[in-house]
Amino acid sequence: MRYQNATAYRFLAPYLLIFSIFWLWPIISSFLISFQATRTVPWRFAPTFNWGRLIGDPAFFNALKNTLLILVIQVPVMITLAIVMAVLLNSPLLKARGLFRFAFFAPVVVGEVAYSAVFRLMFNLDYGIINKLLNSIGLPRIDWFSNVTPAMAVIMIAVTWRWAGYNAIILLAGLQSIPQDVYEAATLDRVSKLKQFFYITLPLLKPIIVFCAVLSIIGTMQLFTEPFLITERGGPGGGTETLGLLLYRQGFRSLNFGYASAIAYTMAGLAIAISLVQLWLTREPK
Amino acid sequence: MAAVTLKNVVKRFGVFEIVHGANIDVEDGEFVVFVGPSGCGKSTLLRMIAGLEDISGGEIAIGGKLVNDVEPADRGIAMVFQSYALYPHMSVEQNLSFGLRMNGNPKADTERRVKRAAKILRIAELMKRRPRQLSGGQRQRVAIGRAIVREPQVFLFDEPLSNLDAELRVQMRVEISRLHKELGVTMIYVTHDQTEAMTLADRIVVLNAGNIEQIGAPLDLYDDPANRFVAGFVGSPKMNFLAAQVVGNDGDATVVELANHGGTRLRKPLSGAPPAVGAEVVLGVRPEHFFDTGEGDCDIAVKADVAEHLGSVSYIYANAGPEELIIEREASRQRASGDHMVVSIKAGRSLLFDKSGARIR
Ligand SMILES: Nc1ncnc2c1ncn2[C@@H]1O[C@H](COP(=O)(O)OP(=O)(O)O)[C@@H](O)[C@H]1O
Ligand SMILES: [Mg+2]
Repeated sequence: MRYQNATAYRFLAPYLLIFSIFWLWPIISSFLISFQATRTVPWRFAPTFNWGRLIGDPAFFNALKNTLLILVIQVPVMITLAIVMAVLLNSPLLKARGLFRFAFFAPVVVGEVAYSAVFRLMFNLDYGIINKLLNSIGLPRIDWFSNVTPAMAVIMIAVTWRWAGYNAIILLAGLQSIPQDVYEAATLDRVSKLKQFFYITLPLLKPIIVFCAVLSIIGTMQLFTEPFLITERGGPGGGTETLGLLLYRQGFRSLNFGYASAIAYTMAGLAIAISLVQLWLTREPK
Repeated sequence: MAAVTLKNVVKRFGVFEIVHGANIDVEDGEFVVFVGPSGCGKSTLLRMIAGLEDISGGEIAIGGKLVNDVEPADRGIAMVFQSYALYPHMSVEQNLSFGLRMNGNPKADTERRVKRAAKILRIAELMKRRPRQLSGGQRQRVAIGRAIVREPQVFLFDEPLSNLDAELRVQMRVEISRLHKELGVTMIYVTHDQTEAMTLADRIVVLNAGNIEQIGAPLDLYDDPANRFVAGFVGSPKMNFLAAQVVGNDGDATVVELANHGGTRLRKPLSGAPPAVGAEVVLGVRPEHFFDTGEGDCDIAVKADVAEHLGSVSYIYANAGPEELIIEREASRQRASGDHMVVSIKAGRSLLFDKSGARIR
């Protein structure tokens, strides 16, 4: 038995080695770095240097506020949208299901830079199709990228466009695992389609919905691409700067690794905490 | 309380016709079993009565009212599914009351109905459990309970026992029989198991490939099947079919020669027109209708392949040329594989079929 285990570990060794060097060590190392002052060479141990700064840093609280704002609006909207899309995909009335499934999934595989460029164009003040559409129905143009609220809206719309279909596909798999005869029993019980959705589909889909929500929370906590590329590094004036962007700015532009590590750990901690709360709130009774 | 009438009911899925014009009259309070091999259209027929499948042709009436275009919930029926179809996220109590609650039924009445169903099915102590915390038999009781709570005029069962083990199946069979007596309502029950059909039914509808082969009381089907299919399907073990040829007609009887038993002849009295001399026919003999040597009207010699001794009876699987026969004898306890034996056939305890399978009476 013990001999067999040893053999198994020998086979695992190459993986474990790489895992330790490129995953485990950076995780530990960055934790240690977050307790060091890294602005001056040599780095020195100063436990309150970064963490103390974090607590009083308006830039951090701005980024935190922006990230949480996007989180509480965008994630519920996207999950709701994904559920609707999944139900439509699952409808027996739908033709060309495969095509729709592909179309919904496609945004995930589109390159981030290309997708961001297209969103910038679409929301362009003078030539963008969105403003053209607004004009055509008699609404005024919006200067999407010069004001904080519309800029935040663009980010939320973009993130939702990109990930709603992905979540819809996961939810679709959940929908398809609900046996048809449960709905037939409900039909015989004179339960309308709408009530069937709220009293049968949603409760049975709950574990999948929670899974999607947790994935999305983790993803949004790390939000970087959209504020970096679409609103040009958190513009206007830091109005869309997220924690991910702040981390990048501190770590890779100011080369302040200690502070960046502290931010990274805060992000991870928040993602875990929010996910746990989410899981606890939606736990199965008993 | 309601009768169920099917008139020329046809079901097509695309170009495939699955049910070819079914005519069935189920009387008020009757227990009717649809039986037939897998895929013969039993479930489809039941689901058309329930309203879960459209009717491609013909008419279905429940309680004298045409229901072709009536919503399933308004047909006065309740259905028990093979897979139970319980709501997995609800407790037993919620499963039972769900339909009533969703329809704004008065709370006191809902509670009364749920209590009554729980009492009838003896599931009162399970009320707080979820379906996954129940055994198969308990789930089946809850599924039946959900049907009882609706207080329907007609109960529909689609193979409700096929997911249970043999012992539980027998037990639930008795329960369903008791339920029918207690409630006195019409029940239509689908199964592929002829034993279930024989034990439960007031009348059996035998289906084969979308056609009704025969409708009748269990023992009538056993004693007097309309054709070879029914004869082979009803009764366990299956009826034996021996190849034969008509060699002569003699007054109101026909004489057949058993092809695989060295020219053994049997004189079989008939009430109807005799078959033509030279016609190939089939003689049907049930396993339990072989007699001791010389006791019947003709004797055949066979060699036992396998002997199964169950205590009360013994089954001898015997070979006679290309024909495999099953012989059920109490007196064969001492028989073993390889034994030669001679058994006797009685004309009055055998059936004659023509080549197409139709009965020659
Ligand atoms: N939705 C459907 N579409 C096409 N064919 C079907 C459908 N449902 C059932 N069938 C066919 O109809 C026949 C009868 O099915 P069913 O009534 O379920 O048989 P049973 O219950 O007697 O086993 C089968 O050949 C089956 O393949
Ligand atoms: Mg079936």
